[in-house]
Amino acid sequence: MTSAPGAPRRVLGIEALSVTFRSPRAEQVAVRDVTIEVYPGEIVAIVGESGSGKSVTALSTLGLLPPHAAQQGRVEVDGLDVRSLGPERLRALRGARVAMVFQEPMTALNPAFSIGWQVAEALRVHDRRLSKREAMRRAGELLVLAGIRDAGRRLGQFPHELSGGLRQRVMIAIAIACDPKLLIADEATTALDVTVQAEILDLLRSIRDRMGTAVLVITHNMGVVADIADRVIVMKDGRVVEQASVDDLFERPQEPYTKRLLAAVPRLQPHPRGTRLLEEVAVPTRPGAAGSATPTAPRAPVPGAPDLRRSGDVLSVEHLTVEFGARATGRLRAVDDVSFSISPGEVLGLVGESGSGKSTVGKCIVGLVKPTSGRVRLWGEDLSAASGRSLKRLRRRCSVVFQDPGSSLDPRMTVAECVAEPLVVNRSGSRRSRDARVVSLLESVRLDADLRYRYPHELSGGQRQRVSIARALALGPELLVADEPTSALDVSVQATVLDLLLDLQAKFGFGCLFITHDLAVVSLLADRVAVMHSGRLVELGTRDEVLFNPKDPYTQRLVAAAPVPDPVEQRERRQKRLALAGGPGPGAEAGSTGQAGGGE
Amino acid sequence: MRSPFGWFLLKRLAQAVVVVFFVTLIVFGLLHALPGGVARGILGAQASNAEIASFNRAQGFDKPLPVQYWMYLSRLLHANLGTSYKLNQSVGSLIASRLPRTLVLTGVSTAVAFVVAVPLGVWQAIRRRRLADYVITTGAFVGYATPVYFLALLLVIVFNADLHLLPSQVPGTYNLGQLLAHPSVLVLPVVTLAVPTIAVFSRYTRSAVLDNLSEDYTRTARAKGAPERRVVGIHVLRNSLTPVIAMLGYYVPVMFSGAIVVEEIFNFPGMGLLFWNAAQTSDYPVLLGVILLIALATVTGSLLADIAQAVADPRVRSGLK
Repeated sequence: MTSAPGAPRRVLGIEALSVTFRSPRAEQVAVRDVTIEVYPGEIVAIVGESGSGKSVTALSTLGLLPPHAAQQGRVEVDGLDVRSLGPERLRALRGARVAMVFQEPMTALNPAFSIGWQVAEALRVHDRRLSKREAMRRAGELLVLAGIRDAGRRLGQFPHELSGGLRQRVMIAIAIACDPKLLIADEATTALDVTVQAEILDLLRSIRDRMGTAVLVITHNMGVVADIADRVIVMKDGRVVEQASVDDLFERPQEPYTKRLLAAVPRLQPHPRGTRLLEEVAVPTRPGAAGSATPTAPRAPVPGAPDLRRSGDVLSVEHLTVEFGARATGRLRAVDDVSFSISPGEVLGLVGESGSGKSTVGKCIVGLVKPTSGRVRLWGEDLSAASGRSLKRLRRRCSVVFQDPGSSLDPRMTVAECVAEPLVVNRSGSRRSRDARVVSLLESVRLDADLRYRYPHELSGGQRQRVSIARALALGPELLVADEPTSALDVSVQATVLDLLLDLQAKFGFGCLFITHDLAVVSLLADRVAVMHSGRLVELGTRDEVLFNPKDPYTQRLVAAAPVPDPVEQRERRQKRLALAGGPGPGAEAGSTGQAGGGE
Repeated sequence: MRSPFGWFLLKRLAQAVVVVFFVTLIVFGLLHALPGGVARGILGAQASNAEIASFNRAQGFDKPLPVQYWMYLSRLLHANLGTSYKLNQSVGSLIASRLPRTLVLTGVSTAVAFVVAVPLGVWQAIRRRRLADYVITTGAFVGYATPVYFLALLLVIVFNADLHLLPSQVPGTYNLGQLLAHPSVLVLPVVTLAVPTIAVFSRYTRSAVLDNLSEDYTRTARAKGAPERRVVGIHVLRNSLTPVIAMLGYYVPVMFSGAIVVEEIFNFPGMGLLFWNAAQTSDYPVLLGVILLIALATVTGSLLADIAQAVADPRVRSGLK
């Protein structure tokens, strides 16, 4: 058990906590024998993948577990035994001694009340004598404390009128309203863009520094851990696997699971060609790219594969512009004069934050969104001019993988039907030959052939995404558009899917537009990188130019804000980033509704 | 009109006018779709051709259809709904004397239903899957499935015939003032009309509250330290009422049609009874006038629903911009 220097009274003490969810049909153990201590002024991170029990542990500290959760063990907050408290004393504890910031700031705030009202309520439920006016005045001060500059104007606004970052600042203002001893941030930055995430992490740090609040950060993101934590607790399957100081954990992980987890995290660095996350061995299997440091030149085609260079670029996007919305209300320009191209066998990473228009570009390329102006050319043919058979022919040669395999696979179709559907639609092969093709496709995405009779809900998230990839490969595409294909997956699963994509790309040599917000993923697999910001393409170049020597100020900020899973390096990066932003301190929030609507 | 809300009102009003225009078209069409024509319907099967021709001339039914429609429309614009064939009174004055009484009946029973149904639904939601929830759910289904006339007879048997507590008939001569001076005559009609409404709205409230109880903001409110009473009574209720209030507006025509049966049974001198009697005597001007009025009420109801929703939900309000 680690204890803080000086060992003052602990703020949080969880001893041998077990939580079981009981339903008439099944019992599920979510937390097993967990012991955690947090001391004043400390930032402790609980890190783990989905199902590790980290959020359940956090909810137990506020006594917020649902009624069907059976608990054992002791939860002590600021000297009070949470489990023994009656409803009224439990209520008095929540918000006053321990407060929580949740993941999704849009849904975590009540849509029907102004944010001033919601912050003021946090004060008034703990101090009945406080007048409405006084509470509102202090709410304004709290918003300022949470880094919202024009707090006076914001008080009367409603959650939907604010950007994601501002909403999360409001959540933090609510959480610190009663000066709690312990602040729990449960995936508080997961739904935010990296630049906003960096600001929120700065804010949490400054709250700790100014108010001496202990902070418990629940996250799956190793970069966030490296950035903010003093001490780290690794959880897996409801158990604490390892506890260590942040430097020790990243430098000298003890447990095999921690080592594997750290290895699975993609790093923002110039990976040599053919790097795989999990094997960490360079296998120069990519055609024509063996160890090449400047892989910008189109690679030679795979021997035996159709000569893709014959027709020049696989994809070229010329002056693409997309506008949404009605004339009267002012049209939103989601994509503004974007041009780029992809040569055969090349991987172009398209990065940007939410609302940057990157997904809209992807949708234009597969023909799901019609451009307002400009052209998408596939193999030299204008997509918008194509129709009938030529459109069908173009579509056969290009396929797409979406972010959430849970919703992009038809729940009523078996895996085999999902994968075979492109073949059926294009009347390719007989029933028997299609089945053989499905088996070989599943093998190529390393799924057991027996899975083909299952339904999507019977598969894990990683398996479902492999099915989506198998389906995308069914017709042997020459261009693959992958829109955030690994963003919904746990890191270790993401690693296997990314490795798989790299292998497949090396084997089949298709061109690929890889759309993501994650710079580390891009640094792993892209030959060239395009950066989008507010609908415009701000930078386009080789991976090494864009990610490691960016010219555009926005790219510089974006790269600086991406947290790396290394506490020492992250500290340096933070200093650099703060220098770039013009000094430390929160409050760099400008737009209000900028990201609320979103044109992605 | 500088505010977006003003614009929204103006736009919705214009739409309502268009809808009402189409309703007049349909009503006019209905009148002329009668088998054998209006004259045959009114004068009966024995009427001679000469009689029919003279009736048609007197009523203007011999003119071309567009001209007739224009005449009908211009009469409407002068608030002239025609004259009852049987009652020898203008339809306008018939409706004017009965509408307030029907409004009292439907208004009071809607208010009663709302006041009972909302707490019932909330209570069911927080006691979900417990005995109280099952009992009320069963009651709601029974109440919803029971035909109104059957329920009315049941109530009359129990409260009038057996217990002698409440009158079963409303004196036909009662005006609005007398009606309000003797509220006991209102009880059974109001209860009869309210029961199915309570059934529908308690279900609606229950599911809305259940949805909102599982929302993230409810968890935030609890994490703030808000007492459960406040979480449900302010946070959840405010968001759950928005759809319920909107539903209320769309419920206006349902209440009106319920009133037709109820008024007939209790001899309640309202629009429903007027409509019922007119239907029995083929008094078409009255029937069409009432239909037009109900259509108007429907349009007004949905307009009110939209306005209520915009007032209650800030997201809807800013969506209006």
